[in-house]
Amino acid sequence: MNMIDIENLSFTYGGKVEALKNVSLCVKKGEWVTILGHNGSGKSTLAKLIVGLLKPQKGTIRVDGVELSERTVHDIRKKVGIVFQNPDNQFVGVTVRDDIAFGLENLRIPREEMIERIEHYAKRVDMYSYLNKEPQALSGGQKQRVAIAGILAMRTEVIIFDEATSMLDPDGRKRILSYMRKLRDDGVTVVTITHDMREAVQSDRIVVLKDGEILKADKSEDVLKDKETLEKSNLELLLPLEVLHGLEHKKSTNEEIKEFLWQLSLNG
Amino acid sequence: MAIKFERVSFQYRGIDEKGYLALADINLSIAAKGEFITLIGETGSGKSTLAQHMNALLTPTEGRVHVFGVKLTSDKKKNRRQRLNPIRQRVGLVFQFPEYQLFEETVLKDIIFGPKNFGVGQDEAVERAKKMIKVVGLDESYLERSPFNLSGGEKKRVSIAGILAMEPEILILDEPTSGLDPMGRNALLEVFHNIHEQLGKTVVIITHDMNTVYEYAKRVLVLREGALVYDGDPSGLFSRKHVEDWNLELPEILRIQRALEERFGIKLDKSPRSRKELIEALGEVVG
Repeated sequence: MNMIDIENLSFTYGGKVEALKNVSLCVKKGEWVTILGHNGSGKSTLAKLIVGLLKPQKGTIRVDGVELSERTVHDIRKKVGIVFQNPDNQFVGVTVRDDIAFGLENLRIPREEMIERIEHYAKRVDMYSYLNKEPQALSGGQKQRVAIAGILAMRTEVIIFDEATSMLDPDGRKRILSYMRKLRDDGVTVVTITHDMREAVQSDRIVVLKDGEILKADKSEDVLKDKETLEKSNLELLLPLEVLHGLEHKKSTNEEIKEFLWQLSLNG
Repeated sequence: MAIKFERVSFQYRGIDEKGYLALADINLSIAAKGEFITLIGETGSGKSTLAQHMNALLTPTEGRVHVFGVKLTSDKKKNRRQRLNPIRQRVGLVFQFPEYQLFEETVLKDIIFGPKNFGVGQDEAVERAKKMIKVVGLDESYLERSPFNLSGGEKKRVSIAGILAMEPEILILDEPTSGLDPMGRNALLEVFHNIHEQLGKTVVIITHDMNTVYEYAKRVLVLREGALVYDGDPSGLFSRKHVEDWNLELPEILRIQRALEERFGIKLDKSPRSRKELIEALGEVVG
């Protein structure tokens, strides 16, 4: 069963810049898919189209079988949550508590349950002790965690992370990756949009975009090793795989070392 | 020394209580030429605050900062009597989100804004724009485009070109590569490397990327809760003790090198600093 079905999607900014050209892809229920690509490859445009922040000019998007249109966009947003790159641009509440509550109020969740969910998800992202704090008191990584708690609390079936880790320090990035893993374990459909291979390595499938077109879509293992495809889209192999690639032609390199490098790359 | 910090502390004043100590008792010297420094530390450790002292956008609440002969202290009146404009031209600071500061209708106008503001004539400023747009890896056709239709990475490059066009002696960049794709990041780091190597300029980069630190820096500054806890070369930084105490992420090259050493006893004679060097060095031992 597909959670997201995209067919022949095209989008052009201002009638000039073609951001997406005839893109078709699907994401299965409970699957974790990475959309990889260079800056300007159309990744974020794709994310904005899926949540109805941009209007498709050609092609269709279906979420859980429902075609996205002006009529259905509000229902679809109840199913698809999105976390953006810049934590400063998505903090809408006066306090952490208000911020997490925002989405729930829109869903008209009863007050009792709302309080319960806010506290539960604040704990999940280790921000419980900050519930009454204002955004100025938080670091970028902490704000990003609050944004994620707000999305988690809405219990959407799909969560899109649009370069959500790219502005965080290593500690912040690792935390968000751990939330993504937990979501997958909980059966939530996850779409990560990134050019960070350490984020991509954990997903089930990778779609590589270049200049608005799909270059390759395959199991993560196969894409991760594909130096040629990755480099075409301004990406690079994870270093252990680059080493593996560099040593490949040496016959004497033992299999154990090769396997070890592969495992090392999976650990991000 | 072009920049010198003497016992510098800086306290942000809140409306409410006592404020927040962002820098604590910093002593530091930076030469006008030939340095390639990376400044690291967790979010909130004071990196940006420190950088903004280097061109007098902020002035200390305790201690003294000397920038190209101008002394800045907590005495705001005295600070104001000095000519700070030349400092801001000589020490170019690229903010963390420079792309938000583009505002002109064309890229050209944006790039020449800075130099013209510092008294450079129109023709000369345009010449510089043509040169610098190439230095940051874009071609001249970009000059006529609107900055608002560029991708994030392109905007970043345009704003860096704008600072370079001011021909600063020292270039400070606050997380210049965050959000860029790997090739874009590498290309931009090469730009900074070339500015440093060919023009001998001092470059200071604030970053979270330990690979950048390990591959490019000659000197690393580590801030923790406003205090300067390390000022030295990158090879000394990643000792096991520092990595643990300061919660540092290992550069990928070191991570692989150490993992292979632990697991297979593979020891390298050299200390590779780039992907290519690592593969070559391993090829000699393993192959």
